[in-house]
Amino acid sequence: MQISELLSPDCTKCAVEGASKKRLLETISQIVAPKLSGITRHDIFESLINRERLGSTGIGLGIAIPHGRLAKASHPVAVLLTLDEPIEFDAIDNQPVDIIFALLVPESEHENHLQTLAAVARRMNDKDCTRALRNADTDNALYQLFIGEGEDKPCN
Amino acid sequence: MTKACKTLVIQNKLGLHARAATKLAQLTQSFKSEITVQQGEQCVNAASVMCLMLLASQQGKSVEVCAEGDDAEDALVAVSELFEDRFEENE
Repeated sequence: MQISELLSPDCTKCAVEGASKKRLLETISQIVAPKLSGITRHDIFESLINRERLGSTGIGLGIAIPHGRLAKASHPVAVLLTLDEPIEFDAIDNQPVDIIFALLVPESEHENHLQTLAAVARRMNDKDCTRALRNADTDNALYQLFIGEGEDKPCN
Repeated sequence: MTKACKTLVIQNKLGLHARAATKLAQLTQSFKSEITVQQGEQCVNAASVMCLMLLASQQGKSVEVCAEGDDAEDALVAVSELFEDRFEENE
């Protein structure tokens, strides 16, 4: 599955006020809720926070990939955020995070999920890509970069 | 310096997803040895969650795990146990 099938421009926001890990998960829930019929903001928040309780999704280098499974979700939804200031996230390398790729997925679809994680990891593992994401100053520029467009296509 | 390698099979249902990859990276970081995971042509540093996720290893996949360093043998035993234990997952 292509990233552009998961991520839409209205779920991509730059320079978000992160404030705290909890606050950030609430922001994500608020963005995702209208995208999934029959699922509330509260359901999404619970799913994300329960996953964090099993271990932080801060995977290092300032990047976090909060995610959750939702029984009633009809399709996967992604959210991409950059933060105005890095926040503490209990990440594996103890570094604060400022790039967030959140993913809410239906219960099944294990193989698709692994492919999606690999596609995200490929971008986040590339310093030119993460530098460009951090520097993106509009929501649309951030979106275009992540789906593999923009000048020089650093995330392609 | 000792180098030890072993072929291991991903046994948990969800494969090498984020949480499993994080457990493997944390275990790797607790040893002095460099640990790599090779799947087909791709060979990655096991200390990096990001790199491990690049593999998109599903249940049933075989990977070659190598440890190189003074505690390579112990590291390989510990990593083997984590795989056998399905990354501490139920299925």
